Order: sequence, then C-alpha cells, then structure tokens
Amino acid sequence: MKEKLTKEEVLHVAHLARIKVDEQEIEKYQVELKQLLNDVDKIKEVEGYDEERMIAPWTENTTPREDISGEMLNPKEVLKNAPRHSGNYIEVPIVISEEA
Amino acid sequence: MLDKSIKEIHEALKKKEIKPIDLVEEAFTRIEKNKELNAYITLNKEAAIKRAKELEEKEVSDNLLFGLPIAVKDNIVTKDLKTTCASHILENFIPIYNATVVEKIEENDMVIIGKTNMDEFAMGSSSRTSYFGAPKNPWNHNKISGGSSGGSATTIAARDVLFALGTDTGGSIRQPASYTGIVGMKPTYGRVSRYGLIAFASSLDQIGPMTRNVYENALLLNVIAGHDKKDLTSANKEKEDFTRLIGKDIKNMKIALPSYFMSDIVTEEIRSEVEKTKKLLEKSGATVDVIDMKYLDNAVTLYQIIAMGEASSNLARFDGIRYGFSIENPKNIDDLYLETRKEGFGKEVKRRIMVGSYLLSGENAKIYYNKALSIRDDMKKEFDRVFKDYDLIIGPTTTTTAYNLTDPMDDPSKSFMDDVLVIPVNMAGLPGLSLPIGFGAGHMPIGLHIIGNSFEEAKIYQLASFLEKELNLNLDARKGEENV
Repeated sequence: MKEKLTKEEVLHVAHLARIKVDEQEIEKYQVELKQLLNDVDKIKEVEGYDEERMIAPWTENTTPREDISGEMLNPKEVLKNAPRHSGNYIEVPIVISEEA
Repeated sequence: MLDKSIKEIHEALKKKEIKPIDLVEEAFTRIEKNKELNAYITLNKEAAIKRAKELEEKEVSDNLLFGLPIAVKDNIVTKDLKTTCASHILENFIPIYNATVVEKIEENDMVIIGKTNMDEFAMGSSSRTSYFGAPKNPWNHNKISGGSSGGSATTIAARDVLFALGTDTGGSIRQPASYTGIVGMKPTYGRVSRYGLIAFASSLDQIGPMTRNVYENALLLNVIAGHDKKDLTSANKEKEDFTRLIGKDIKNMKIALPSYFMSDIVTEEIRSEVEKTKKLLEKSGATVDVIDMKYLDNAVTLYQIIAMGEASSNLARFDGIRYGFSIENPKNIDDLYLETRKEGFGKEVKRRIMVGSYLLSGENAKIYYNKALSIRDDMKKEFDRVFKDYDLIIGPTTTTTAYNLTDPMDDPSKSFMDDVLVIPVNMAGLPGLSLPIGFGAGHMPIGLHIIGNSFEEAKIYQLASFLEKELNLNLDARKGEENV
C-alpha cells in the first residue's frame, strides 16, 4: 500500500496553487504529491538550522539601482498579449459580486 | 562550412569567400535534414535571412562570432519571435522586448536561427515534459537528449549550428551536454544577466553557452557575460576574456574529487572514465585528491524545496489575464484562474507548483524554505573550504548515460535524481562545466563535471581545454547511429 495524502489535503494544496483538479486526478495526486512531500521532509533530518542567519546568499558584487524613472514599455504593446482588453485596460471577470 | 574551425570560418568571411547568409542557409538546411530530432520549437527563418543580408553591409570586425548562427532556448524572450517555454500556456506568446543576452548577441552580430525545445518551464531532466514533444539524442534517436536544455544540446550535437544558449537551474545545461557529447557551461550566479529569462527558480537560474568545443564556449561567454542594471542579482565585475587561460599548462594544478561523486550511485562505466581522466591529470603534473565533502547528499532535497517554492511563486503570473492562454467565457475570476492553469500547464509543472505552494504556505515557509536556504549557505561554506586548498573540483556530470525516450515518467522524484551530481553547484552559485571525456555502452557520451570557485570560469576552461586536446575524441554525433 502506497502512502497517500487524503483527498482533502490534495484539494487544499490545489487551492493554494490555484489549479483546478478533477475528481479522476485526485487519486493520482494523492500518491505523487505525497512522494514529493516525503522527499522534502528529509530536510528535517539535516542539522544546523539557524533562524537568525541571513538567508539571501547572493549579495556579493551586486549594486542597488538608483531610484530614478527609466524607460517604460509602451502600453499598446503590452496589451497585445492580453487575451481580453479594451482601450488601455485589461478586462477581467467581475471580482466583487453585485450583491456585496 | 559549419564543420570548419571558428577561425577558418572567420577568415573566409573576412576574405569575402563566404557571406553570413551562406552560414544561415547552411544551418537551415541542416536543421531541415535533422527535423526528426525535434530540436526546435520555432524557427526564425525570415528574420534570420534578413539579418544576415544586413550584415553583408557591415565590415567584418575582429569579432570571431560575427555572422554566426545561434540557437536560443525557448525560455529566453526574443522580441517579435514566439517564446513558449515549451508550454501550452505560452503557446502563442510574442514578447515585446529582448532579453539582455539577446541584445548582446545582436550587438555582436550573431544571427538568431530559432528557439530550442526544452522541458516545460525548464522543469524536467529529459525534455519530455515539453508540450511539443521531446527532442531526440543525435547519438541514438531512441535516447533522450537530457534536459531541460535538451533542444539546445541536440542542435549542437547534430552540428546544425555551432552556438546555443541554454539555462541551468539544477543542471539543465550540464546534464544534457553530458548526454549529447557537447560542452556546456553554467556560469557563476550573477555572471550573466537574467533579464528576459522567464523565471523558474530565481535564486538558481543562470543562462550559459552550449557549444561543440571549449574555445567556442568561452567565446560565447565573453559575449553574454556582464553586469546589467536591469538585473539586480547580476554581478558588478570587470570585463574579462574567458579564453585567456586556454592552452596554458595545468602542471601543479590542485584538483579535488569528492568521494560522493564516485560512490555507487554512479555507474561503473562512468566511474571508470573519470578514473582514467584522474590518472591522465596526475600524469600531466596536476594533483588529484579524493576528498570528503559534507552536504552533497542533501543537495537534491534543498533543490526540491527551493526550486519548487520559487517556481510556485514565479508561475503565479500565469493567470490568463495579462498574457498567454486563457479559457473562453470564464464564469468569474476564480474560474478564470483555476481553469486556465489546469488546462495551460502540463503535469510536471502542476505537481511542482502545488508542492511549492504548500511549502511556502504559513508556518511551512520556516520549516522548509528558510531552513533550506540556511543549509544551502552551509553548503556554500563547505565549497569555500575546499576552494581554499584546491583550484577546481571534478566528478562525473551524470550517474548514467542517456536513457531511453520510452522509459517510464511516472516517478515524480526521478527527474530530480537525474541531476544529483550537478545540483550542488546551483546551490552554491558556482560555475560548472560538462566536458565529453569518453563513451559508454552503445557509444553514448560520458561527461566530466568541472566545478570552479565563484567567478573562476577561466580556470575551468583551462582544465577543460587541456583535457579536450589530450583526449582528442571524435564528437561528431552524425556518425552516432553507425557507431552503435
């Protein structure tokens, strides 16, 4: 018997990722996601965690950008790739319901 | 003409015996002939021909790369040229700007020939997660080319073109280079600008050159390296010539060979090739010490946490709103997100986004992600310790040679384990190169992994070019199948 996540756990993870999961996919994910979570759990066995430590190791040789405005992309160009747009706006479905 | 040395090609261009258009046409003829290899997602035929003709008006400079065709991995944005990341979600995406590396290629008068196949969003180790089907290994068409830069490796091994760009987050340049018998370099993190590279794991991603030999690899790194204001993680380093140590003696060079890299996770035929290389180096006056290193066996775990976590965050931008695939008639905003991402992403990508989202949610961020970053720092310090005593570290690039395209894909851990030997280098931000050193069963190429200290790519090229010359292998995959 393979280790599995519960159906609810799969749905929770899918919700966090904003990915719809079909009923027939759930079973597969119960096993596959569990396997990956078992993999990453190995980190718990590694010693030497210091919470206070600086955790962005890539700071050598980098310089912050000056805070001045630079070139911008042309809004017309930007909109070319938007699936739904109107004028200078990107269209999205209603976010706040009318009753609210 | 494309089989000649870079210097011969350059001379011929200079003497006007050939024009850039001849090289471009030759490249397209070869690509057409090798169509079955599926190395490309998009060809840039019209624009490449136009560009080559424009170059005729220009005087041939001393730049050895003038007029030469180059292939670009399809996760690097190219203005007005489709860039898909091998994903359904970006199937029709036309970028409106160029990545910095693309600008540099154009400034150096190279001609972009097309966009190469890869694992979807660079997630995978065999390029089989591509929405457009996997590329095939030129040495044996039933084998994988590796991944994620499988298309770039394929087109170089098949000698369609001499130059390609790949990207490497957890081995994605070096591992396919090893499987296909070419030279692939992942430069130091920060060496090459990531501006315009569609992000997978931002703290690990790096663009690098893939070529048929060491010298040409260093030449291409000369072109793409450099500080870029548009990438705050790009390193502010003086310009240098990466070819400068090529041909220099390796006598007294101190080399470390970590015992983990020669453990039984690696097949015997590969260990034996590395052993032979070790002896050759010792005979040539270098010292090679087998050493023990901590944390190497933790690298895959760290990688899984950091890469999946960062991917889940980076890929949140694909929401069906600003660009890319979007479902028809969404009922509401949630429906738009959920259905677009369900249909737009492939299996491997969805799995990684889901696990990554979980790893970064609430308290988990501390338990997994922050801890992984902290241990990564320890691993970097362990490399620092070794580089106090040694110039370079070597080992095999991969644990096996390229496997069959038909091998099962149902094990979600497999694609990570394929990169077990190359991932530590991404964790520590170091430069690493894969060099062909021999062949295994079925005449499939074997690669040596050469790791340098931060910003010491030139030293890696020094050792690699020495071995390349000593070994003098026939790396022309076009005779591949005859060799089996």
